[in-house]
Amino acid sequence: MTLAEKTIAYEREELLTGCQAVAQAVRLADVDVIAAYPIRPYTEVMDNLSRIIADGQLDAEYIVADSEHSQFEIVKHASSVGARAFAGSSGTGWMYGFEALVVTATDRLPVLFLVGNRALDDPGAFGVEHNDALAIRDMGWLLCWATTAQEALEHVLIGYRVAEDPRVRMPMALALDGAFLTHSQHMVRVPAAETVRRFLPPFDLGDRRLHPDNPISIAPQVNEDWVMELRRQNWEAARRARRVIEQAYREFNELFGERYGTPFFDEYMTDDAEVVLVGLGTVAMPARTAVRRLREHGHRVGYVNLRWFRPFPGPEVRASLARFRAVGVIDRDFAHGSPDDGGVLLHEVRSCLYPLPERPQVLNFLTGLGGRDISIDDVTSMYEQTLAAGRGRALEPAVRWIGVREEAARGVPEERRP
Amino acid sequence: MIKRVEINYRGIYQKTLARRIGSDLVLIASRLGKVAFSNGRYSDAPERDGIPCKYFVFVSPDLPEEELEAECGAKLDIDVADVSIVLDDTMVKGVEPWAWHGVRPINEKVSADGCLLVVTRREPTQLLAFIAAKPHPYRLATLEGDASLSGLWVFKDDLTHERVLGAVAAVDPGIVTIDAVADYLADEGREPRRAEAARTAHAATVQRIRPVAPDAGISWTYAIPELPAWDAFGEGVAVPGVERRSELGPGGQARNAGFPRGTTKTERPVVRFDLCTRCTLCWLECPDGCFDPTADEYYDVAYAYCTGCGKCAAVCPVKECIVMVDELRFEDTASPWAAYRRDPAAYLAWAEGKKGPERRSYAHITGTGVEVRPAPAVRARRTRKEVATR
Repeated sequence: MTLAEKTIAYEREELLTGCQAVAQAVRLADVDVIAAYPIRPYTEVMDNLSRIIADGQLDAEYIVADSEHSQFEIVKHASSVGARAFAGSSGTGWMYGFEALVVTATDRLPVLFLVGNRALDDPGAFGVEHNDALAIRDMGWLLCWATTAQEALEHVLIGYRVAEDPRVRMPMALALDGAFLTHSQHMVRVPAAETVRRFLPPFDLGDRRLHPDNPISIAPQVNEDWVMELRRQNWEAARRARRVIEQAYREFNELFGERYGTPFFDEYMTDDAEVVLVGLGTVAMPARTAVRRLREHGHRVGYVNLRWFRPFPGPEVRASLARFRAVGVIDRDFAHGSPDDGGVLLHEVRSCLYPLPERPQVLNFLTGLGGRDISIDDVTSMYEQTLAAGRGRALEPAVRWIGVREEAARGVPEERRP
Repeated sequence: MIKRVEINYRGIYQKTLARRIGSDLVLIASRLGKVAFSNGRYSDAPERDGIPCKYFVFVSPDLPEEELEAECGAKLDIDVADVSIVLDDTMVKGVEPWAWHGVRPINEKVSADGCLLVVTRREPTQLLAFIAAKPHPYRLATLEGDASLSGLWVFKDDLTHERVLGAVAAVDPGIVTIDAVADYLADEGREPRRAEAARTAHAATVQRIRPVAPDAGISWTYAIPELPAWDAFGEGVAVPGVERRSELGPGGQARNAGFPRGTTKTERPVVRFDLCTRCTLCWLECPDGCFDPTADEYYDVAYAYCTGCGKCAAVCPVKECIVMVDELRFEDTASPWAAYRRDPAAYLAWAEGKKGPERRSYAHITGTGVEVRPAPAVRARRTRKEVATR
């Protein structure tokens, strides 16, 4: 690649929220069909897309649906006729459309969905919690978190590229922490459309495109005679997706500069680390800051920012975390009634580590639920606890709540608690 | 030792009937100290109108319940049946278990010396004209009666259920005995006519069991399809569509050769082309697209695809032009229009012969029975050919 080509990789810099960055990426991806139905924090994405279309910057069908279920069905069908399609939602809206989400995966249609993570009502809450997006983890989806608005923009492009690859063809959910990322404004470098076109080829569904000239039936009744083979096919696609993801990041780096080190997760100051924390989304900011400050005091700590949750980078995570004495898993979600009453990420990570002959100690921190902020002090406390566990001290309980109001923590004597 | 009973019934119309026969056989066998249970394939959705379905009953005098369940419970079809009950005799023409399996013989599962028990008003020889020959001997028993059809949730209390229980005791007392059936039906203050119906059916059936020699019946080869491996077919649950084709004449419309669904019908529409006004309603309204437009503007019937729903007969505005007729009166699915073109007079005589002197209609409220009326007299119209030759 020549220097001249590289200079047009990013066209300009703009102040954008996470939602606006996603909308800009949808424009750059030249999406054909957008179905919209409001629920915050996702709403700002559809607002911005309607403006982009009204301003003549994108030629797309923009359909306001009567519910999330219709919204998701519309893009599923649009995808089946060969349209590049986009939708998004948050929290309970995402859950309301779940039937459509499930069949989009089994129909292997590569729609991209934006999930502005939001706590699941009731009671009403707008703040970030990851349980909404995580609910599709077993349904045959690609699922990935962005940490910054820049990453959000770039992962719409990477997402389409991976999802639409003929070896994959799975729907893709891109998750952004509600409020903290969706509504926070940062300077974002916007790629040039020509460079995006080189990275993201036109969508081609091949012989699965529903068209009068290509008569096919999609999703007939199959029952026990075929379902198991179809599940096996879906697994194969998810297996292939791992290599396709790696290839997509390689080519993204070639076109846009060395943006990403490893595709599935970022490691921060882990080279000589004794212990690490692992998390998803914007918790990376206080975590990396805490890492820097703790290192000033001589503590060898690092942070692993997991980006791809599905397919889960099992071998890579196992190889990475095997190096540490202890791993603290941060969950901005809760797996109710699960083993040790921990979070979803805990179980994924711990299960990854099980085959190791010598496993690191694993702690789990449930924190930031419902949009509660996770402070640098909170993360520092998690590091201190993980360091202690790495040295064989204070191993129990494995799951700890960080930042929850507690009478005991306020020094109220037991006899005076209700 | 396990006794296996298969109950072939028509989806929705005989669902409750079949399930009651199944549950009562279990209860009666249990009273005899045996272990038994019943299950069914397609016992709920998708039970399209008339689709051939199955219930099963498994009875053992010696196996613990868990072992009986382990042997028989987790299977979706039966391998072999000691008794195969057929609640609608038109199913002797075969059944389609699933689209890609093709039409299979009704006696496919009947074991050596097992028994095919058919509720019918026909003679065994008439039934054997449709039934596949088997390599081993078995028995064929008939229980005189009509196909007892009712609705989705309603049950038509016409004693078919009690009579079938009596007949099962007649063909295989190893499953239940007639005394146990009668005792059970007399229990709990039930009307005496129920046990009497079972005893009468038992006595009659004992007289109507006949051995079927190996190779008796029609030659019927069928292949159980070998389904492709996961890495041998397309992804995304997409399957090739039926190739589009639309030409005038018999079979001119494209249809799915892999799933005709014709075994769904109890009756088929017989068309008097001489009375037809070419109003197009049968062709428009047929839910299965079974009518083929012809060059002379009639509509031929693709009987292999007709599910016998009767909608064409209901919408036809001309009296006696389309009449639903018992499927067992027909030997094949040949084009009626072609027969009419060949020899109009012979076709009309044939059609009236099939229709017979009576017309049957099902009341709108299902479960209330069949109305039988004498056929109205409709004079044959002159055919076009006759007009042309005058």
